[in-house]
Amino acid sequence: MSDASDDFDDYDQGSEFDFDEESFGGSDYGDNEGFEEVKPESTKLKAYEVEHEVLSTAGIQQRQDSQIGQVAAILGLSRESVMVLLLYFKWNNDRLLEQYTEDPEVVLKKAGISADDDSNKKEYKIMSVVGFMCDICCEDRQGLETFALECDHRFCLDCYKQYVTQKIVDEGESRNIQCPGDSCSLVVNNEGIKLIVEDRVYKRYLTLLNRTFVQDHEHLRWCPAPNCEYAIRCDDVSAKDLKTVVPTVQCACGHRFCFGCGLSDHQPCICILVKKWIKKCEDDSETANWISANTKECPKCMATIEKNGGCNHMTCRKCKYEFCWICIGSWAEHGTSWYNCSRYDEKSGVEARDNQAKSRASLERYLHYYNRYANHEQSAKLDKDLYLRTEKKMTQLQSTSGMSWIEVQYLAQASAVLQQCRQTLKWTYAFAFYLEQNNQTHLFEDNQKDLEMAVEQLSELFEKPIQELAGLKVTVMDKTAYVNNRRQILLEDTAKGLHEGRWRYQVELK
Amino acid sequence: MSRSRRIAKEMQDAQADPQSGIRLEMVSESDISHLKGYFEGPPGTPYEGGHYQVDIEIPSDYPFKPPRMKFDTKVYHPNISSQTGAICLDILKDTWSPVLTLKASLISLQSLLTSPEPSNPQDAEVAKHYMADRRGFDNTARYWAKVYAGADGGASATATTPAKTPDVFELYGIDRDSVKAFESMGFDQQRIVEVMRRIGIKKVGADGVEDRILEELLK
Repeated sequence: MSDASDDFDDYDQGSEFDFDEESFGGSDYGDNEGFEEVKPESTKLKAYEVEHEVLSTAGIQQRQDSQIGQVAAILGLSRESVMVLLLYFKWNNDRLLEQYTEDPEVVLKKAGISADDDSNKKEYKIMSVVGFMCDICCEDRQGLETFALECDHRFCLDCYKQYVTQKIVDEGESRNIQCPGDSCSLVVNNEGIKLIVEDRVYKRYLTLLNRTFVQDHEHLRWCPAPNCEYAIRCDDVSAKDLKTVVPTVQCACGHRFCFGCGLSDHQPCICILVKKWIKKCEDDSETANWISANTKECPKCMATIEKNGGCNHMTCRKCKYEFCWICIGSWAEHGTSWYNCSRYDEKSGVEARDNQAKSRASLERYLHYYNRYANHEQSAKLDKDLYLRTEKKMTQLQSTSGMSWIEVQYLAQASAVLQQCRQTLKWTYAFAFYLEQNNQTHLFEDNQKDLEMAVEQLSELFEKPIQELAGLKVTVMDKTAYVNNRRQILLEDTAKGLHEGRWRYQVELK
Repeated sequence: MSRSRRIAKEMQDAQADPQSGIRLEMVSESDISHLKGYFEGPPGTPYEGGHYQVDIEIPSDYPFKPPRMKFDTKVYHPNISSQTGAICLDILKDTWSPVLTLKASLISLQSLLTSPEPSNPQDAEVAKHYMADRRGFDNTARYWAKVYAGADGGASATATTPAKTPDVFELYGIDRDSVKAFESMGFDQQRIVEVMRRIGIKKVGADGVEDRILEELLK
């Protein structure tokens, strides 16, 4: 894989998000080792953006090395030992330094480093020892190659190799590979492992190390896209900020996701509400639809009842309350005469209907938001399809109208903007569901409405037959810019609101 | 290759050291991956005088992976399943080291009999008994040692079935009179014992216990 920044500078092979100017300016995508990237002034972050950096495997390695170097300089220990220490302390510099200054010997021992490390560091050597017998395989032939750490638990190289390889390959261990000696806790460090195992296994070891490095750091996260090998660094956001920020980052592979929870881009809705919403939808949606369409609640105990035949004189199975299915009033007020529900205004009936209306209303409210959410989600799922059709349209347009490749790019842009806006819209509904009704919320809903209208207009343009499309180039481009602008306004305002604590929620954030 | 050499050496070593009281035998001459280990119940414990047989399966990547061991002889012990003989011991799992041997493992098993760890039980029923009523536990464990492991010149070491039909009350440490009380109500003895074992009650005494057992019996 080429340097990550290539993908972004190179317009040709860029993903569908490339043209999206905000994502260009917003962050620094390169794992720019060795060269400084010149940032134009206009890269000031918008309120809904967070600063982040994409790290390639080499970049992660480099950060590891620099952290090790830094600590090694402070403690005056070898790099290998510092690495073992850092692994033990889960790459937490402060904790390591604090505990080390308190009691270096205890820390070294706990981490599995021999105490005479710095004074007379012996280099690891593979050697043969006269009269040696390996305790693992009982081999004792002359010239047998052997290996031992500082603890002098010596075993033949084959056994050592097999032991370490098994730890790395089978158990996926990299943090704490101990000497095979019984209850010896000395750790085989990077240098030792490199010496013992095959290249293939050593590579695996390094990969595992990178993995633990990223997992241990609060400000690093792997890109969750399948087969993507990049990690994202985002320094300004920690777990406690997630109620006021939606830290959306974009990987060099094009995938946009939330740094806080790892789910794909859910701006402007905050992580906590996203989780609540997803759970609610899993629990409710289809069932709720059916309940809404086919049932009523018992006016007394609120048990949900489906009327599957028979007369309108209902007796609740649960609380034995008798009521009229038509007016939900008490059956007692209907008298014993044959059924004729003209008694619409009876007191109990009115109250019961009120109660029922309330519970219906909450259900309907949910369904209102859910249907719109699901609608945009569905459209987002059709994105791929849409994009493929766009490509086809672009080729057609090139041949029918004599336009050049670069001239038909506006369609790709429009398609990508549509996709992104639908993603945003989808989550505005989840967000709005949890918002209290107040003026702020009305403003939010106005922004939402504007964006939705603009999106639908662009979408309509997009469906036009190929002959008309060529003539609509300027209109499409204008609309695209407008839609994108609306999206930015909505995100900007919501993000500011989050920051200022402007939003009031109907649920507790926990 | 190194595996067979190592196992052969281990068997030799065990043979050369009869003092240890540990014996290793192959189940069949042609198969080095299946052994039986034998040792005596440690003195000063309810297992004293018992002869214990352990089934040993040696994985193909031995000694890098631990041997799989389970008791053939039935043992009443918190860390050993009273049903299957499965063993809960750290060195047979995570803390195994390739320099450990079969002999060392068997010695560890022996010392496990001396010092049970009921807080990390394999058999919850037994562990509960151990924690709640140490004396009752010792009696039951001793009885099992007698019936299954041939302590006091009882059955032979290999017996997985007892020499005589064991007394269920002794076997599960259940109070004879409590069961009799329910029997007089017309319940089947076997069923009463089964229910009491299932809910982990050895004796009827405290209030409510009787009702609970009755409730279960009537289900």
